[in-house]
Amino acid sequence: MSIHDEKYAKRIEATFAKYPDKRSAVMPLLYIAQEEYGWVSPEGIEEVAQYCDMDPTQVKSIAGFYTMYSEQPKGKYWLQVCNDLPCALRGADEFHKQLKEYLNVEEGGTTADGMFTVEHVMCLAACDKAPMLQCNFHFVENLDMEKMKAQIEQWRAEAKAEKK
Amino acid sequence: MVTNITKTVTIYIDDVSYQVPAGANLVDAAKALGNDIPVFCYHPKMSPVGMCRMCLVELGSIEKDRATGEVVLDDKGQPKVRWFPKLQTACTTNVSDGMTVRTNTKQVDQARENVVEFLLTSHPLDCPVCDKGGECPLQNLTMEHGPGKTRMNFADKMHLDKHVPLGDLIFLDEERCIQCARCIRFQDEVAGDDVLAFHERGRSLQIITNSEPGFDSYFSGNTTDICPVGALTTADFRFGARPWELTNVPSICPQCPVGCNTSLSTRLDRDAGGRAIIKRVMPRQNEQVNEIWICDKGRFGHHFSRGADRLQIPMTGNAPASLTRALQVAADKLKAAGSDVAVIAGSSMSNEDLWALKQLANGLGSERLGAWPPTHAGADLVAQVGVGKGTNLSALGKGDAVLIIASDLEEEAPVWRLRINQARKRGAIVVVANARKTQMDEFASETATFEYGEAPKFMADIEASDLGKKLAAANNLIILTGADGLTLVESRALMQSAANFLIKTGHIGKANNGLMSAFPGSNAMGLYYMGFTPEATLDIAQKPPKVLIVAQSDLIADDPSVGEWLTKVETIISLTLFNDALAGLATVALPIQSFAERDGTFVNGERRVQRFYTAQGPIGEATPAWQVAGRIGELLGQGKVKLSAAAVMLDITKSVPAFEGARYKELAHVEPQFPMIQKDVYYGGTAYENTGGLGVQIPTAADQGETLNVGEVFVPETPKVGKGKMLIIPTQVLYNRERTFQSSELMHPRVADPYAEINSADAKRLNINNGDMVEIAIAGASAIRVRAQVDGRAPKGAVILPRHLATNAVPLTATVGSISKVGQAAVVEG
Amino acid sequence: MDLIKGFRTTFKHVLQEPVTIQYPEQEKPFQERFKGRHELKRYDNGLEKCIGCSLCAAACPADAIWVEASENTDEERYSPGERYAKTYEINMLRCIFCGYCEDACPTEAIVLTQEHRLSFTNRRDAIYTKDMLIVPPPEGTEGSPQQVEPGKFNRPIPDMENPK
Repeated sequence: MSIHDEKYAKRIEATFAKYPDKRSAVMPLLYIAQEEYGWVSPEGIEEVAQYCDMDPTQVKSIAGFYTMYSEQPKGKYWLQVCNDLPCALRGADEFHKQLKEYLNVEEGGTTADGMFTVEHVMCLAACDKAPMLQCNFHFVENLDMEKMKAQIEQWRAEAKAEKK
Repeated sequence: MVTNITKTVTIYIDDVSYQVPAGANLVDAAKALGNDIPVFCYHPKMSPVGMCRMCLVELGSIEKDRATGEVVLDDKGQPKVRWFPKLQTACTTNVSDGMTVRTNTKQVDQARENVVEFLLTSHPLDCPVCDKGGECPLQNLTMEHGPGKTRMNFADKMHLDKHVPLGDLIFLDEERCIQCARCIRFQDEVAGDDVLAFHERGRSLQIITNSEPGFDSYFSGNTTDICPVGALTTADFRFGARPWELTNVPSICPQCPVGCNTSLSTRLDRDAGGRAIIKRVMPRQNEQVNEIWICDKGRFGHHFSRGADRLQIPMTGNAPASLTRALQVAADKLKAAGSDVAVIAGSSMSNEDLWALKQLANGLGSERLGAWPPTHAGADLVAQVGVGKGTNLSALGKGDAVLIIASDLEEEAPVWRLRINQARKRGAIVVVANARKTQMDEFASETATFEYGEAPKFMADIEASDLGKKLAAANNLIILTGADGLTLVESRALMQSAANFLIKTGHIGKANNGLMSAFPGSNAMGLYYMGFTPEATLDIAQKPPKVLIVAQSDLIADDPSVGEWLTKVETIISLTLFNDALAGLATVALPIQSFAERDGTFVNGERRVQRFYTAQGPIGEATPAWQVAGRIGELLGQGKVKLSAAAVMLDITKSVPAFEGARYKELAHVEPQFPMIQKDVYYGGTAYENTGGLGVQIPTAADQGETLNVGEVFVPETPKVGKGKMLIIPTQVLYNRERTFQSSELMHPRVADPYAEINSADAKRLNINNGDMVEIAIAGASAIRVRAQVDGRAPKGAVILPRHLATNAVPLTATVGSISKVGQAAVVEG
Repeated sequence: MDLIKGFRTTFKHVLQEPVTIQYPEQEKPFQERFKGRHELKRYDNGLEKCIGCSLCAAACPADAIWVEASENTDEERYSPGERYAKTYEINMLRCIFCGYCEDACPTEAIVLTQEHRLSFTNRRDAIYTKDMLIVPPPEGTEGSPQQVEPGKFNRPIPDMENPK
């Protein structure tokens, strides 16, 4: 596992081509590292630092600042529930709570099977379709618990199929 | 910075008008006028960020009519001021003409009180156990500006980790951090090692390091000085004492030729038998030498002065003896030898010691005075065309150039590296020329390479090259040489060529121009002025005398070849700090005092005579070396021993022309410096105000317009490396296992295991992998076992072998040898 | 006449109780706030209250107190927090029993007791060391140093009340 992998070569090259200096490419490269490892792992940070000619400390600092980067290992499906004020008015708080209960996880925790991680995030700009969440950066909107349960089953099935 | 700005502008602070240099920072300008604007994040040595908001002031400018440029007057006939609607941060403001500032209004007071209150919401009530307590900017400014009462609930304070090691030397208390980023900015802007950063945000914001090893910088200790709270503390001083209990004694760092001014904080100690010992080493401001920084070796490497291996009582023939008896034996031996006597003196001895030793030898009719270690030649050239009087590396900038040749400055003189790197950031060209890749390449604007042994040739031929033309055209040029991979003869040739180039291009005899060299020890220039030369050392090795006085030189640990000739010496008289191998060989071993226990002077690489003072209590029966030499001289009828170091110095000033005007009183002279480091620790940090003296710089021959004599350059042939042999290049690393560093146990994790760097091509040929144990065989020395490091730094055919890492001595200068994997004979190619 | 006057005083006192106390068999109680020999107190669990902050030494007008601090670890814990007093000495010949040390102490570790019988035959004996000053550990506790569970005593000053 490494972002030096052949499959990323083109993307990395294209990224560097976009910016005047190597340092600027650090954020896109961190996304690639997150994609590869499932989270921004120490190895990932080290590799990005090498690519961008930066000290690993500075790369870690950037990964720590932005919430899109996760410095903890995540489940296969990373569920980020928005419960800012407008969403909360539409029942997102309750939904968030129920979701955690249903999956039996703490805030920010991952299910025992490593499938789901649940956490809350700040506004995702989809207040009109609340309660909503973001699964691996894709929006799932107009939710309630029933819909959510179905969705979870679907994901589980998908994962199973993938395994086979 | 305020320097070199002649144009002034008029500003009004609290309704009083002042003339200040145009473009100066408002905090600095106000400070110089005696108006202390409180700051936490601003530091005069770094660029402002305006993060802490402590320096808020009312700011305005005098209104001028746009059309006419006339000052607009109000009803009372006073100039009308256009105020900013809100308070402004003074630290991010540069003064301009007509700027009006109010620092004493209710609004400003309120703002300061609020900022302090806000900072204290998350700050623990740790003052009683905090190492910073007593010299803490937050504590002081809270007393001055803070609210008298808290509105907070103590139980609601943020609780975070209080013991986070950032590497082995620095500890972080996350609760105490007020997020000013001074440490991060220091590492980035000043030290040039970008190894600290913020992590997370908001209340979770914390300082992190992700380097390997943690906080990998030779300047990490300085962050604890500039930290405005007790968030960063050193492993050395942790809970050592309260600041108000310490006695601060001005001193000079004995580790390298930079000659950093330090302040030794001492306190009586129960474990040391109630005597005063060094509790910590702090930087002392000398803007010409080290500004307000010191490296970690200087800060944490002081333990040798109280090391368990210090020689405490005189020995004769390996048996303890009284000092009177030991001195008598020494005197008798010297008397019997007549003039067949020689002295080898170490490069960290004080001028007083060297002078007394010289007097002793001369009195016996001997002129054989050797300098140890004999690695760097050309001190005489530094005395002729060294950097001009008044040189300040901080003055280098755009249009100036520095050539660093054959030296890994990072390892040899870290503070010079720091200051030259800052010069590069200001726009100076820094050229690093070496036969191997080093850390220095990172701090260079240009690099140049040559083959090992070719350094003198490179320097001699530089004039014709593009690089040479660029250097010649620089407004100011400093050439800084080392002896990386050079023999003593080559080192002289390199120095001569460098001197010739400087003379030819006119870069001599003026400030910020000339020759410097990363000599070993803290007083190599003193050795030269007192008449000790490395060439004489080689001569002593060639023709060993009957009686040899070895003073503060670890011959056996430094050089594997001394065994050959040392046995031919009938009597060795050792003046030593440590009970080392040589003390065992010596007929008489006399304990001497370290820099911390006595007064003395060093001459640094820029020829500045600097004075250090007695800091800690005596150890055993050790006496200063000048006294030991003087008392032996007295027994030999050479006249009375001097009563004090000051008296010895007075003698030197009368006899050595270079030291004229370097009496103790003159060395102790101080002048105001910028930035003003005073008791208000919040501005410059806890570096100490210089009260011990700025020192006196010895003028060069070029400064005084004397005739120069560089001598004929003798470029020796590059030694032929036989088949199957490699060039063994001994190098200097900062953290090593020398006796003067070994006692600092906290540094042990940072001292590398013995290693040797080899080129990947050679490694492949010899079937050596990275991390393999290898044996390096050199004629006349016992084999040295180290780990091979194949890291792409060593050039082909060379083995980079750091000195003082392995137990066995590494040759002093470049030599030829073979390398083989342990358990396998050296591969000899047919 | 004067003679009678004189004897009247004499006889009056003959009938009164004697004021002499048969010390040491009898002891006179002291005022509650009498300031005598110092003691270093412990917490109920046997840890020392003194954190080696040296504020008593700073407050001492007679310069009678000498403190040298060192660092606690969870394996060898003397006091709560990071710092403890490695050396704690009071020179009783210098001490003027003013009680400033007691006032300065942030943890109420040093307390002046009613003990006043201090005698020494030698100037050195007048220096009371930490062993002499510290009270014995409460019954059932192991005193100091003790091995404690990590993170339990990481604050030098235990919970404090809010100022009134």
